[in-house]
Amino acid sequence: MVQEAGTPPLETASVPAAGAMDRVDNVLERLWHLLTSMRVAMIIMLLIAVMGVIGSLVIQMPTGVGDDPQARIDWLNGIRPRFSLFAAQTDIMNSLQLFEVFNSFVFRILIALLTVSLIACSLHRIPGLIRTATKPRVDVGAPFFQHAPQHETIVARQTAADAQALVTGVLKRRGYRTLSAEDETIHVYGDRWRWMQFSGLIGHLSLVVIMAGAIIGGVAGYRDQDFSIAEGATRVVGTNEGLSVKLTDFTVTYDQITDSPSDYASSVILMKNGTEIDRHVVRVNDPLRYGDLTFYQASYGSAAQMTIKDAGGKLLTSEGVPFSWQLNDGKRSLGILSVPGTNYTLWVIGTGGNADTRVRPGQVEVQAFNNSGASSNTPIDDKVLDQGKAATVAGMAITFDRESQYTRLTVARDPGVMLVWLGSLLLFVGFALRFMLPHKRVWGRITTRSSGAIVSMATLAQKDAAISTDFEDLVNDIRTALQAPVQA
Amino acid sequence: MEKMSGYAFVAAMLSTGLATIAYLAYAISGLRAARMQTAGMPMNTGTLGFVSGRYTPAIGRYATMLGWLATLALLAGLIFRAIATKHGPFANMYEFSLAFAFGVLVTYMVFERRYHQRILALVALPVAAAMMAYASTIPSTIEPLVPALQNNLLLTVHVAVAIVAYGSFAIAFAASLLYLLQGRWALVAGGMLVLGILGAPTGLLLSGGNITGLLGGLLGGGLLGGLLGYAAHWAGLGKSFEGEASGRWGLPKPQVLDEIGYRAVVVGYPFLTLTIILGAVWADTAWGTYWSWDPKETASLVTWLIYGTYLHARVVRGWRGDRAAWLLVLGFVATLFTYFGNLFFGGLHSYSGLG
Repeated sequence: MVQEAGTPPLETASVPAAGAMDRVDNVLERLWHLLTSMRVAMIIMLLIAVMGVIGSLVIQMPTGVGDDPQARIDWLNGIRPRFSLFAAQTDIMNSLQLFEVFNSFVFRILIALLTVSLIACSLHRIPGLIRTATKPRVDVGAPFFQHAPQHETIVARQTAADAQALVTGVLKRRGYRTLSAEDETIHVYGDRWRWMQFSGLIGHLSLVVIMAGAIIGGVAGYRDQDFSIAEGATRVVGTNEGLSVKLTDFTVTYDQITDSPSDYASSVILMKNGTEIDRHVVRVNDPLRYGDLTFYQASYGSAAQMTIKDAGGKLLTSEGVPFSWQLNDGKRSLGILSVPGTNYTLWVIGTGGNADTRVRPGQVEVQAFNNSGASSNTPIDDKVLDQGKAATVAGMAITFDRESQYTRLTVARDPGVMLVWLGSLLLFVGFALRFMLPHKRVWGRITTRSSGAIVSMATLAQKDAAISTDFEDLVNDIRTALQAPVQA
Repeated sequence: MEKMSGYAFVAAMLSTGLATIAYLAYAISGLRAARMQTAGMPMNTGTLGFVSGRYTPAIGRYATMLGWLATLALLAGLIFRAIATKHGPFANMYEFSLAFAFGVLVTYMVFERRYHQRILALVALPVAAAMMAYASTIPSTIEPLVPALQNNLLLTVHVAVAIVAYGSFAIAFAASLLYLLQGRWALVAGGMLVLGILGAPTGLLLSGGNITGLLGGLLGGGLLGGLLGYAAHWAGLGKSFEGEASGRWGLPKPQVLDEIGYRAVVVGYPFLTLTIILGAVWADTAWGTYWSWDPKETASLVTWLIYGTYLHARVVRGWRGDRAAWLLVLGFVATLFTYFGNLFFGGLHSYSGLG
């Protein structure tokens, strides 16, 4: 941008008409300028920050809701009363993706742009960094020593060669690597932490590693946030590896004084193709890990222990049905059970509390649905069951044995997580080193005068208004060294 | 132990209050000296541009002593509290607020030792005092940790690291405000400062000791003050102070403040990075995902992006100076939101004990 503004118009006019390839080159060059521009990167960062603010101020859809059209409609209807300044507010906000900011098109574009800009900036800087680390310019001209941000001149009694030895001695003592060159004057160059410039680069590129990890996790990962099992029940893990989990016991411990829960513990048995392979008590900070699959404690609730027999008295199933759903009235809880060996799905509905006149405490309502029937949306049978008494529902003998508990686990596999940790480590180490061990460079120029030498020192580092800089300390050391009595 | 920590906190609050008064006296003494110098009387001007009168250095020394006293009392209080609760003093809003205040105090004292800029205390100490005052309005009862927090190592490290970051950002904020007070935006920054400081306790009182009121008052007052200041600036009431070598009104030189702000961010930024990473590690073991766009996570990321932008701004022409200083103000607002965010937005971090 700056260069364009500085180009006189006449010069541009004298350039012969650009061919198509030149024009492409021109566009690419401008694009490259844009991508390697720090200003552009800063604006992208601030825009992402703005998205973050929106995302934390506006309520966001829970994970998974956005992918399920029906769940999305239900969720939107649920929040509609909160966004009703005008009739279509919720729908307009929905189509602007304000309820799913971090999955939105704009957010993805910004992240992609930031990644490209990060990579472009890094590539752009690498050659220069390598040059300053391996082939730094040693012989800088005299004007530099008058115009550098910090510069100092010392008059010495020693010969130029002796002065050079003293200057390099001080530099070495302070941990600098020194290089020298000689023409009519002696040039001295010293640098420290020259490879640390790359730590900043690594810190930047580690963000790309983290994002790669996040993308891999999102594409190839597995996640089931609603893995609910009632006590005594076994549930198959949906990864098609023959894994299943049995919950033998679930315990909530309450604090005796405050009555708030102090521990959730799910005792589970992990089975592969029916044989036990592991036992673990899953707690909030203590998940069960099997290979790269992890089972976390998420939440818990009550369940109904049901026994179901067919008309001939053969046991179909006896298991706990987790009340992991809510009816639309917001009071009654719902558990869904697909009866093995039949076409029936049962809705087990719990009581809505003491005020509930239909399903009283100690009762459950059972609605039977025929999966293959023409009208699978309406129950084919519907009964309220007392605890411990068998009743016939849709030709099956169903007993509500007792109330028990269920645990909800999160089952997750994230193949990208190692990349995320690697990136995080590089990010922290990269930036910490970049700030703690900054790259430093000084140049010296030693000329002979009639009775001794003149030593000029300069650096590109800015003067620090608050405290004395390393350069000032270094020059002081050099001055002391040059003024020390010459040993006989 | 719980009682002793309570006594130590009272001592810390008292000495912070006294220290604030002493620093104010120090600043007024310096301001008077600056006035007299402007009027033509010979005064001592330090190498860093701070003008001092006869008693100024003595008042300054007392202020520093009181500041260290407050820091040590608060440290003692936190240690007693940790012994009483058997975990790091970071588990609920009460403990965390005191830890935040400690972070601000200790970072300020370290920066004072290094840069000898006592004026920063005028912003930093009230921030610490406000955190302590806020802590005294919320229940301090020791409650057992909710299951998600039962990881002593991560709890201690994750929050302790966050405290250092927040403390550094508070110092950077103090430096940037004093910087802006001397520049083109003096009226805007001054209006924000005055109405923000007046607004915070007003909001706290009106809302009956509610933190939302305090923050609302602070931000609302700051915004109103900024707008009024801008109106005054637009009306041409302020004059430009740019290009003056020494600080205005006995304040440190702008270049010094700019440098201190940068140094503070350089300290705080790696710590914020580490806070976020440790948070992700913990979230992965407790919640089964390293990132879930929980409001507190998001706010910390926003803060990280703003300070990241600031670090770049320092090396880009046209972004240095004023714009960079505004980024520091913005960054600190984001820091406050990161800190209080769970109180407004709920989310996974809502175990502050305030429901």
